[in-house]
Amino acid sequence: MIKVNGLYKKIGQVQALSNLSFEARDGEITGLLGPNGAGKTTCLRTVFGLLKPDEGFAEIDGINVADNPIAAKQALGLFPDPFGLYERLTPREYVRFFAELSGMEGAAAKDATARVLSQLKMEEIADRRCKGFSQGQRMKTALAQAIVHQPRNIILDEPTRGLDVMSTRVLRDMLKDLRAQGHCVLFSSHVMQEVAALCDRVIVMARGQVVAVGSPAELCAQTGHESLEEAFIQLIGTDEGIAA
Amino acid sequence: MKRIMTMFRKELLDAARDKRSVMAGLYYAIGTPLIMCGLFMVLINQLSSPDDLFIKIDNADKAKDLVHYLESKGVSHSDDATKVKDIRLVIGDEYPAQMAKGEAALVTLVADNSDDKLQKSIRRLEALLQQYSAEMGSLRLIARGVDPRVVQPLKVEVEDQATADSKGGMILGLAIFTMIYSVFISGMNLAIDTSAGERERNSLALLLSHPLSTRELVWSKILAVTSFALLGVILILIVSKFAYALVPWQQLGFAINLSPSFMLLMFLVAVPIALLAASLQLSVSFMAKTFKEAQSYLTIVLFVPLMLVMASTYQVAPDVLSWLPLSGQQQALMEVVKGKELPLAQLLVTSAATLAIALVLALVMERSLKSEKVVFGL
Repeated sequence: MIKVNGLYKKIGQVQALSNLSFEARDGEITGLLGPNGAGKTTCLRTVFGLLKPDEGFAEIDGINVADNPIAAKQALGLFPDPFGLYERLTPREYVRFFAELSGMEGAAAKDATARVLSQLKMEEIADRRCKGFSQGQRMKTALAQAIVHQPRNIILDEPTRGLDVMSTRVLRDMLKDLRAQGHCVLFSSHVMQEVAALCDRVIVMARGQVVAVGSPAELCAQTGHESLEEAFIQLIGTDEGIAA
Repeated sequence: MKRIMTMFRKELLDAARDKRSVMAGLYYAIGTPLIMCGLFMVLINQLSSPDDLFIKIDNADKAKDLVHYLESKGVSHSDDATKVKDIRLVIGDEYPAQMAKGEAALVTLVADNSDDKLQKSIRRLEALLQQYSAEMGSLRLIARGVDPRVVQPLKVEVEDQATADSKGGMILGLAIFTMIYSVFISGMNLAIDTSAGERERNSLALLLSHPLSTRELVWSKILAVTSFALLGVILILIVSKFAYALVPWQQLGFAINLSPSFMLLMFLVAVPIALLAASLQLSVSFMAKTFKEAQSYLTIVLFVPLMLVMASTYQVAPDVLSWLPLSGQQQALMEVVKGKELPLAQLLVTSAATLAIALVLALVMERSLKSEKVVFGL
């Protein structure tokens, strides 16, 4: 469970977050939907304790990120944007390194790495260096890194950007599996289809604030529009920065 | 601690596969001793065994005794234009007559005194002429029944106190300088790659999103860079040991030998220096946003240790330098090389100072990585 409460954050002259509060529950896929520049990435970075909020707090499974960052991060997995791969390492080495970094013992990390690599059908590329990987292969490596230590909460920043159809499907199936296992999945996106197809709950963000919360159907009902796209545009009051 | 080891292993694995990082260390560690050897060989050739000097001597038949004397000292006449130096010795036409009468006989030395390459040969010829002149003068006095010592009121004797080892010390000082500097060169590329490079590849924020304190992050990187630097030192020590054995030191009247105990001492001294080099290079390149930016900062920053070590090599240094980091260790090592006693106090103080600076830099880095400005380059 990820909870943020009354977050304010000013970056330079820009008020990136202003009184942002929401929660993402276990066993659900929560979408953080907003136009470019709405503060999605700032919000996620605050959840990881990389940015310090001017006011407010973020909690992971009830642990305050600012008070106990190590314990909070232990319960988190991050699928970052951009991926941050080490080009000279193989996926097996890369994933195992992050597994150990997240606190797994050597042998357990090795097993968990092998398991997640086969789960994502990556055996063929598992021992090739990441240099020269396709976008889809990179995505899988990053995803394996995010879930290898079986964190209760998984955060994905713009996960489908630049992916082809096949890779997007792999990602979607994986997220649905994680939901079925009771994980809390939070992902940010500005792609409507993605959110409509996957999310149990959508948090619509604009100008650093939450403007609406609900399932895609609820959001449509709330605004009286049939498509989520129309509903979304009405909610944020503009159609700038949205991908259909 | 376990996380530091995990990070450390990753850094080494990543670095070992980075050709640029590995090669930077290798080139320096292998190349420098070999280049130094080449230089020393040329130098020794010039210093020892002065070659036969060929000059032009006009009217040689007028002064057979003088020409014979010069030939016995390795200076002779030659017509071969390829080996003859541009120096001409003209024996005056009156030379035999003047000699016979006991007057000053005229010889003229014609050469371009502003030509640096000729200076040594001209000095040598002048000295020989003086010697001959003095010898002839003594003979004339004896012929007149006068003790030649009356015209030599001063008898100067020079006692050279330089031992064989201390003469070699100057040269070994230069060798030590290359070894200390290898600490800075060998780890530099890795330092940049693992800090500015990590940021450039967007993996720095990802690392910090994991349960890893900035202290653990900083120290694992320092340790990785330090081990690379120390590997460079070991390599240059081994290469030097074999390379310097090839130089014909005995022609200079001393021997240079990198004994195992000296190599061990050099390595121990290099440990704190390597820590300093690693933390200095990392903290500078963490400030940079890209690999190239870090590279240009570091080139400037590395000038400071370079100057410190250079200053003590060439002994242009005031005393305070023997208590500063780097220059102090350099001087202490040079004392040992010259066969004197190890200045333990000096070595301990400077090594402690070196370590202290490294620790401060590590702390600064640790704090700066907590700043969102540094991590995201805001």
